Amino acid sequence: MNGAIIFGLLITLMLTGMPISIALGLTVLSFLFFLTQVPIDAVALKLFTGIEKFEIMAIPFFILAGNFLTHGGVARRMINFATSMVGHWHGGLGLAGVMACALFAAVSGSSPATVVAIGSIILPAMVKQGFPKRFGAGIVTTSGALGILIPPSIVMVMYCVAVTGHPQAPSIGQMFLAGVVPGLMMATMLGITTWTRARRNGYPRMPRATFGERWAAFRESFWGLLLIVVVMGGIYSGVFTPTEAAAMAAVYAFVVAVFVYKDMTLRQVPKVLLDSASMSAMLLYIITNAVLFSFLMTSEQIPQTMAAWIIEQQMGVWVFLLVVNIVLLAAGNFMEPSSIVLILAPILFPVAMKLGIDPVHFGILIIVNMEVGMCHPPVGLNLYVASGITKMGITELTVAVWPWLLTMLVFLAMVTYIPAISLWFPRLIGVM
Amino acid sequence: QDPIVIKFSHVVAPDTPKGKGAERFKELAEKATGGKVKVEVYPNSQLYKDKEELEALQLGAVQMLAPSLAKFGPLGAKEFEVFDLPYIFPNKTVLRRVTEGPIGKQLFQKLESKGIIGLAYWDNGFKVMSANKPLIKPEDMKGLKMRIQSSKVLDAQMRALGALPQVMAFSEVYQALQTGVVDGTENPPSNMYTQKMHEVQKHATLTDHGYLGYAVIVNKKFWDGLPADVRTALEGAMKEATTFANDIAQSENDTSMAQMKASGKTAFHEQTKEEREAWMKALLPVHKDAESRVGKDLIQAIYKEAEAAGFKM
Amino acid sequence: MKILDRLEETLIASLMAAATLVIFVAVVHRYLSGIPAVQDYVLHWNLAWAQELCIYMFVWMAKFGAAYGVRTGIHVGVDVVINRLDRGPRHAFVLFGLLAGALFTGVVGTLGANFVWHMADTEQVSADLELPMWIVYLAVPCGSYLMCFRFLQVAWSFLRSGELPHHDHAHVDGIDPVEAAKEGGPA
Ligand code: NA
Ligand code: NA
Repeated sequence: MNGAIIFGLLITLMLTGMPISIALGLTVLSFLFFLTQVPIDAVALKLFTGIEKFEIMAIPFFILAGNFLTHGGVARRMINFATSMVGHWHGGLGLAGVMACALFAAVSGSSPATVVAIGSIILPAMVKQGFPKRFGAGIVTTSGALGILIPPSIVMVMYCVAVTGHPQAPSIGQMFLAGVVPGLMMATMLGITTWTRARRNGYPRMPRATFGERWAAFRESFWGLLLIVVVMGGIYSGVFTPTEAAAMAAVYAFVVAVFVYKDMTLRQVPKVLLDSASMSAMLLYIITNAVLFSFLMTSEQIPQTMAAWIIEQQMGVWVFLLVVNIVLLAAGNFMEPSSIVLILAPILFPVAMKLGIDPVHFGILIIVNMEVGMCHPPVGLNLYVASGITKMGITELTVAVWPWLLTMLVFLAMVTYIPAISLWFPRLIGVM
Repeated sequence: QDPIVIKFSHVVAPDTPKGKGAERFKELAEKATGGKVKVEVYPNSQLYKDKEELEALQLGAVQMLAPSLAKFGPLGAKEFEVFDLPYIFPNKTVLRRVTEGPIGKQLFQKLESKGIIGLAYWDNGFKVMSANKPLIKPEDMKGLKMRIQSSKVLDAQMRALGALPQVMAFSEVYQALQTGVVDGTENPPSNMYTQKMHEVQKHATLTDHGYLGYAVIVNKKFWDGLPADVRTALEGAMKEATTFANDIAQSENDTSMAQMKASGKTAFHEQTKEEREAWMKALLPVHKDAESRVGKDLIQAIYKEAEAAGFKM
Repeated sequence: MKILDRLEETLIASLMAAATLVIFVAVVHRYLSGIPAVQDYVLHWNLAWAQELCIYMFVWMAKFGAAYGVRTGIHVGVDVVINRLDRGPRHAFVLFGLLAGALFTGVVGTLGANFVWHMADTEQVSADLELPMWIVYLAVPCGSYLMCFRFLQVAWSFLRSGELPHHDHAHVDGIDPVEAAKEGGPA
């Protein structure tokens, strides 16, 4: 009963269009005020302590690192490198776009940022070469989603934060390593879709780059690519904890942007700091209010009751995962990934654990699901970003992304029902 | 009539000694009060995390907690840092003389001005020092990155050994040890075993240098507001639960140690008398440094208890 | 008003930079401590407080940054439904949302102030830095009241002009897509 009141209130408030963080907070406040004995002062406490955790601080650091990379010419060099490697195949620049997105995803933790960084450079170039606008927009919108699957990933950090405290909660390091194989697989599948469509339509290809050109492009992008080693190598080898790795990435990206590539001046740094702080604050504000919300849920025993109910239905793992996907895809119509993960993961996770689903596999499934949600209307941040770059309408873009979106849905089904895709690699190197 | 609800929140799993103690108290309390009191146990930081539970108790959002003793320092009761001092309790007998005697009572009185009443001391156990190299002499600790829980005394202890203390959340320790972000740590055997740290530590020495324990506390206003008969019944239940929790802590430490030894993944070193004296010599200066924080009288009072039990400090 | 805006921006940008530096230094220090040659010089530097300081700086950044975010329209909401409404009802919902924001942050600010007031009576300090906790928690009332003020400010200007601040996620400073393609993009 209380669960129905809480969710009813939350959904009503959200549909009025107010910020999700405010809707979450107001729901908790009104519930505590009218319906329970939990002292309302606990809200002030939770609003501070909700984000008082060192792991969460990886989020602002990764955002800062990503912003330095976007502004610092790293994306452009990665595109050149990718073009020299795969530009001569069917799909040409388009295929290079998929690869460049995957490369940039390996240094950035966010999907929209990947779309911006790669899309704003490669889309105009593609149009100039004679690709239809739709083709490029479809590629970048969907490949940009790799930003949260290939580590580092802000949404993975959110997932770990959302389920923290549960005895089976995975670590950030485990999630990151588990994202590698699915990320590469999805990049390959998006690449195949691109290749097939380009071949059928006879889109332009580039001349094959010589070995010398490839080497030169690699050397140019070397400092950007090295960041992959700093972050993943650093975490895996034990040089850094994930949060420390994020902080080091931010410092490194700053040095590369300002002193190595010199695509950015020191005078631009304050603006990058301010933008990063503002973006981080928005996410941290959602986290605080979501933590508050999940505190209310727990003290009303809602996840426990729901878990018991679902177990009682004797729903098999297969059906449960199907339901999870449907719920998440539905939520993807209204909210962006951080809010979905923070609100729904604490409720779904305990049930998944009771059914014996692996916590890391469950996390990867959620992440891939979030990627799909970012690429379809009515709410899909990647779509909006791509529309901003291409000046295409959302409806036109929606049609444009379909072939790649279908590919992603097939991949989602694979990730859902083949746990080995997520678990093989972390098990191989012994982190789980 | 609605029962009186006691929300008992803690930050560890239900199957740990503390978790089992809490469940035991729930059973005993509900039986002893004839259902007048209902105890709801919230394990695993479900409601409040390590850093906020004390504030939540003071606000009255939860009624009962069992935080580790190191948590009371930041609350303004620095005297509790005495429990973290290395080699302050030569053995369990001395520990009991302190916690069950007048010193334990006096310490709990320091909490009353903060709106807290201390009901009982629960053990976790005495610590093992572990790393990836043999720790025979205190000098072997030099330059090692050692994970500690946030505590000024533990920080000073590691520094006295020439190690570099690193504050880190308990849940992160396994991965940090596995990857090498930190080189070693200190834990009672049961914690080391449940977190599988023996899989990622090659060596450990049974130093028994430090003690890890908890205090079961209640909100003062809530406690004072209970009917006298209920309070007496709850005190009785707590006494019984305490014996139960401490017995379990001991037996879990013993079985954990046996299983870690059987696994063969960590080589456990038993100290000779000389080795132990060398470690004590290296660590006793920490007592002197702590005098300004915890009070010289308190340390001396504990020395007296130790002497009464036959130990010369 | 300009001064308040600048202060807000400077504060959050500086906190971002400072927190990054603190962690960078702490990590470098940890590795220097492992090198025998310099060990003896650096081991006695106590940087155990670095994590705590970083966390507190980011919490402050989050509270004040959230207020800045109201002014720049970065907080996302579910607007698919109200976007389908006519202008009149849509404006009413937008205004309702802004006032709800002001209400929430106002209430939280007051709860926070009350909490800090009680905290100031205690001797609670943070674990590592030993900062008085009431000062640390001051971020909640200060940040929330500022945010409340920003919501009211935005609501007022929306009433007068019908315009909302809007954060453009696709915009990157200094990167003009067309120019970028001409300069360095593969052609
Ligand atoms: Na990424
Ligand atoms: Na969507």
